[in-house]
Amino acid sequence: MSDVLVIGYGNALRCDDGLGPEAAERLAASLGPGTARVQACHQLTPELAEPISRADFVLFLDAACDGEPGTLRVQAVLPADAPAGATIHAMEPSELLNWTRALFGRSPEAWLLTIAGADFGVGCQLSPPVRDALPSLLAEARALIRSATDRATRKTG
Amino acid sequence: MSRTITIDPLTRIEGHARITLHLGPDGQVSDALFHVTQFRGFEKFVEGRPFHEMPSIMARICGICPVSHLVASAKACDELLAVRIPHTAIQLRRLMNIGQIVQSHALNFFHLSSPDLLLGFDSDPATRNIFGVLAKRPDLARDGIRLRQFGQQVIEWLGKERIHPAWIVAGGVSSPLTAAVRDRILAAIPEARQIAHRTMDWFKRSLENYREETRTFGNFPSLFLGLVGPDGELEHYDGRLRFVDATGEKVADGIENADYASVIGEAVEPWSYLKFPYYKPTGYPEGMYRVGPLARLNVCDRIGTPEADAELAEFRELGRGAVLSSFHYHFARLVEVIYGIEMIEQILNDPEILSTHVRAEAGPNARRGIGISEAPRGLLIHDYTIDEQGLMRGANLIIATGHNNLAMSRGILQVARRYVDGNNLKEGMLNRVEAVIRAFDPCLSCSTHAAGKMPMRIELFDADGRKVNEVMRQP
Repeated sequence: MSDVLVIGYGNALRCDDGLGPEAAERLAASLGPGTARVQACHQLTPELAEPISRADFVLFLDAACDGEPGTLRVQAVLPADAPAGATIHAMEPSELLNWTRALFGRSPEAWLLTIAGADFGVGCQLSPPVRDALPSLLAEARALIRSATDRATRKTG
Repeated sequence: MSRTITIDPLTRIEGHARITLHLGPDGQVSDALFHVTQFRGFEKFVEGRPFHEMPSIMARICGICPVSHLVASAKACDELLAVRIPHTAIQLRRLMNIGQIVQSHALNFFHLSSPDLLLGFDSDPATRNIFGVLAKRPDLARDGIRLRQFGQQVIEWLGKERIHPAWIVAGGVSSPLTAAVRDRILAAIPEARQIAHRTMDWFKRSLENYREETRTFGNFPSLFLGLVGPDGELEHYDGRLRFVDATGEKVADGIENADYASVIGEAVEPWSYLKFPYYKPTGYPEGMYRVGPLARLNVCDRIGTPEADAELAEFRELGRGAVLSSFHYHFARLVEVIYGIEMIEQILNDPEILSTHVRAEAGPNARRGIGISEAPRGLLIHDYTIDEQGLMRGANLIIATGHNNLAMSRGILQVARRYVDGNNLKEGMLNRVEAVIRAFDPCLSCSTHAAGKMPMRIELFDADGRKVNEVMRQP
């Protein structure tokens, strides 16, 4: 069985930036027990490198600040060096995977699922386009997890 | 012709500040000012809110040490309730407070300060950061991550949230500890202990490389303030205030919470949002004192746990009387990490730790409540006044970074005079000026009642106020 880790991140007090934590919570509620470890957090920090190093498959869930509001984007993430001027206050998934590889000697397969946000002001509500697109993101996340788990089962079987 | 150098903003600290260095006609530093340029205003906007909301609201002061504000705020609220807090609740609050001290000290030592210590104060600023540490010593970076993760997990497992847990409440804590959580924390202790000792051993071996910095980084006589327990032991949650002088002699001892204002005065200056607390009997600004790990180890008679007490014995050899160099904040921080891990184990082995009596319930029974505890960076005071409906009428917060304000300016001046040549500015000189501030580990988000970073700007002004030079540095 594949060890799946889901990390939804963002600021739940800044409207659409709260998409990641909201999606993580909904996904956790809809997955069967033991299917995945799901974490909701404010931002990506170096400490996440350790749980990532133990996973075979990682999904990052986040809001995007570019693109047509409500647009779902699914992209593979590979380890990459931090850009010049990077800070540990705001890490990208690719940097975190790079940290994981440097610190723990491995970096799992990872995907980033985003929905382009419309409103990043102060508030706890998702904007209508993001709210409407959320079920699609959850369906895509479940499909990716199912696929990863099936591949792992075939490999061990 | 006199000139001014401005370092704006400071990097690798929590919050926004800038330093102004005034140069004399000979190009040498004649004065230094530490400006805190952000304003939060928590003391004002909580007025009119119900007092029982304070722990949750005050925790928002800071994303690094929210637990400290939770603890001090809840203790102030306990006094408003005028109830006795269950023993287990006190132990659980202690547990979370120490978890935070461990994670915060790990953050300062590994993420903020180790780039200077490992790569050198004059190394390339482009790589003199945690990424540079990662490249040169991944094992050290990994230890930093694991140790901080340990402290964060203690907080998260207890309070269900890593950053702003609402678990500590007026009267106690909101839910008891489960055996499963106790056992998870206990299982993580051996690795944390190994990391703490490994790091201490490395740091002590490295000290020889920093003889000059030790001599000049905020190394001056001052008073020191901290809490001590009933037997003079190191104390972070409760206890009474003790001041010692540079020789280590007690100048005030056994000060109760209610009497803090008899020994601590607060001054303000027009060029900073950070207040300037001082030791009242000596007056302002002569009553300069320091708080935090260095001060705590200077004021206590002993630590009270065996491994940390052994380290304290070595720490005490660094000075005659009190240890005066602010560079040794790093040493003291690591001693406290060792202590913290020992204490976490002790608390978890308390036979009553799983008791379900963890909260005392009451309405407001007193008009004024004062909560004092030790935050990672030093003494933290929350002083609340309420009306008969329990609505906040006033709040006074004195934060660790504020206590250190006068001493930080003094430390900057000392380092700047030693390293900065106004006629030949070099980046490494300015990094040392920043590093002395970093040794104090200021948290400006807390003390001005925002974390972030921007490029550092150094400006030179002549006596007529004309800018004659400017250096920009990206973080």
